[in-house]
Amino acid sequence: APRRKVAAAGERGPSSTLLSPASSEDEAPEELSFGVAKEAAETERKLVGEAARRHRELLKEKRRQRQELFAEQKVRPSPFESRRPRRAGSPPPPLTALSPAEAEAAPRGRAAGAGRRATAEVRGGGSKGNYTAVRLKDQSLTGLHQHLAKDFLNTQLYGPAANRVQANNFFSLENKKNPVTKAAVQFVDKSWGEYKKSK
Amino acid sequence: QVIPGHESRSVEALCWGAGGRLFGAGLSGEITEYDLGQLRASCSLDGGGGPIWSMAANSSGTQLAIGCEDGSVKLFQVVPGGIQFERNLDRRKGRVLCLSWHPSDTHIAAGSIDAFRVLDVCSGQTLQRIMVSYQVQKVKRECVVWSIAFLSCGTVVTSDSFGRVQFWDWERGTLVESHTVSTSAVLSLAVSEKEDSIVVGTSTGATYQFQLLPVKMGSLEKRWVRTKPFQHHTHDVRAVAHSSTALISGGLDAQLVIRPLMEKIQKKSYDAALRKFTFPHRRLVSCARKAHLLLFQFSQHLELWRLGSTDETGKDGEVLPLRRMPEHLLQLKSKGPEHIYCSCVSPCGGWVAYSTASRFHLYRLQYEGDGISIKKVPKAPKLLSPAYQLQFSSDSSSLFVASARGSVHVLQLLEPGGCRHLHTLRPPSGCSEAVYLLAPSADGHWLAAVSGDWVIHIYNLKCFKHHCTVPTYDCAVSALAIHPDTNNLVIAYSDQQLFEFSIPEKQYTAWSRTVQNCGLHKGWLERDSPITHITFNPKNPSHILLHDTYMFCVLDKSLPLPDDSALLLNQSTLKQLPESARQRQLHAFKICKKFQPLLFADLLDGNCLVVVERPIMDIKIQLPLPVQRKKFGT
Repeated sequence: APRRKVAAAGERGPSSTLLSPASSEDEAPEELSFGVAKEAAETERKLVGEAARRHRELLKEKRRQRQELFAEQKVRPSPFESRRPRRAGSPPPPLTALSPAEAEAAPRGRAAGAGRRATAEVRGGGSKGNYTAVRLKDQSLTGLHQHLAKDFLNTQLYGPAANRVQANNFFSLENKKNPVTKAAVQFVDKSWGEYKKSK
Repeated sequence: QVIPGHESRSVEALCWGAGGRLFGAGLSGEITEYDLGQLRASCSLDGGGGPIWSMAANSSGTQLAIGCEDGSVKLFQVVPGGIQFERNLDRRKGRVLCLSWHPSDTHIAAGSIDAFRVLDVCSGQTLQRIMVSYQVQKVKRECVVWSIAFLSCGTVVTSDSFGRVQFWDWERGTLVESHTVSTSAVLSLAVSEKEDSIVVGTSTGATYQFQLLPVKMGSLEKRWVRTKPFQHHTHDVRAVAHSSTALISGGLDAQLVIRPLMEKIQKKSYDAALRKFTFPHRRLVSCARKAHLLLFQFSQHLELWRLGSTDETGKDGEVLPLRRMPEHLLQLKSKGPEHIYCSCVSPCGGWVAYSTASRFHLYRLQYEGDGISIKKVPKAPKLLSPAYQLQFSSDSSSLFVASARGSVHVLQLLEPGGCRHLHTLRPPSGCSEAVYLLAPSADGHWLAAVSGDWVIHIYNLKCFKHHCTVPTYDCAVSALAIHPDTNNLVIAYSDQQLFEFSIPEKQYTAWSRTVQNCGLHKGWLERDSPITHITFNPKNPSHILLHDTYMFCVLDKSLPLPDDSALLLNQSTLKQLPESARQRQLHAFKICKKFQPLLFADLLDGNCLVVVERPIMDIKIQLPLPVQRKKFGT
């Protein structure tokens, strides 16, 4: 029995120094529960995975749009151009606010440019055949862009390197250091509670 | 003044254009102009480069440059009625997260990932591209340049995700100075107009000031030195501004902090104090006094609660047990992406109204036993502009709608569930701003309305005519209310002054003149937050109940006013004194700071005061995670 006790005491030493960072030797060792660390790692992995997935989706979507556009262009004869002066991908007609000029479309390629621009819905019809031009904005390409942007922000600010901590940990410290000490945040009674007459 | 939000409109950048025009841009990829008279978005234009991360105006406010997700920098012209695309500048790979014009408007510095560029505005060419990476063995992360500033002397200042603030000579492509202020990212920076001081905000909630100081006493050579650290926030500081006298920071902890720079302040006064703003200075809770209901306004839904009740009585300081618990009666979700701008419940509890930036909604509520049923009023009048404030009359027969250009619509509520437009009240000499506060009298005779130009108009509701205007005061009105018996209008201004104006007599009351002559107590005038609600005690006509974010006060007009030598917060002292001594020390201001932060306080019929607290911790727990902060002894 005494041997076991000594062994146990010895174990505690080295493991605590491993947990705390080298620079803060004066501080008590950090206690990090396995569950919390596991959760944090999983969330990070998920975030990065999601961002990569969305990026792939966006590229796929772009490729699909380009293919569709080329297919359309093949099918439609050029007389349509006089009737419908704009094709999906070129700048929209001036609306109440004026829009970016045609120079926009050239460097980036039609499909990609088209995704970000709103084209007016125009109905070609009558003898030349029926078709409708649709606003590519409604095809949620803009939504994909926005998702990518938000994912970037999330990964940068809340990703693996960000050193974030749960609100419980963060504010429980404050509660303990306040002039009027309070319980750790997660234990604060949130229910309507028992109303008792105080003495 | 508040411009309501919108689900899809994230605002990543704001800037002022020529003529005091306000523009915003965000991840939706659009540049939006805001109409400051009507307090809403007036027009939007797609930037054409995907999500917009940054936007900056040139020195004259005639051009806007935006930094986009696709790595492009685009120029737009500010023209009458909107903005117009001008041209693209050189596009490189990597999202442009921050932008800054050189004060001469000849060059633009654009920060991206692992690098920043300097572009020539005329030719659009990238003149210099400088790598801003972090060369440490183990670290393989990219270095994000979160903010950038271009000084007149040609120095470019950057802040990055490795917690560094760096000063560059862009023409030579060299790093002049580097300061590591934090282990977390430095997200924002702002330069003073004189370019001798910089404020930066970090992810840990800390802000730092840098000052350009001579190397030695009297030396001409100057260096940037990190002078003052501040820890006003618990969460990321993504926006900072530098005024001529103060450092301003806005954090993800929903706090706006104004920190005056002591060397710029001449004397110890109101201006020298640190100011923190967390809660809006407008009404988010309305109360149906007769029905004992509370309506809470959130950005996309409303909650209706019935207050609990008790039959017990007790002594000062006791908490009485409830016989009936508070009940969450109804949650009303707003349709569409626009945020709710204002809301109100009628005193009888039978009507609820709310408005977004484009639409106004009215509902009829029926109570059957313990249950409640709600029905939308089908043909509510379509208003041309949004409602900026809603107020029911005390007998719940009319609804007053504050509108644009100083006008107030009076809607008549009809049984069993309809409404019609009765009249529109307008100020006699016109007004360009919207009405933001309304106060009807209890007898239904008068209505006071305050518009954005700070003028208080009083209308006679019996004949729908303008009655008079309260003498102008050079401050915004933060709250006003009409006394049920005397029809005196009590006004609280944002500089903490109080006035009482007799509506029938069209002049300030004697008590009001006394208050002005004696002056209000220093402790009252130096309070941090404005009075947001005024109400009266049905049982005692000389009482006025007012509250701000940190206190509520029963103002007893029959008691003497305290002078500066008296203790303002004397309630606890008074309690300990014997009855005879108390009489000598009583003064008019009975202040209680037990409940804070306060969103609302009102007197119900009977002996009840309802007080709504919104603990800051409840909000902070729901925010995105803060950065770990090491503290000794923990």
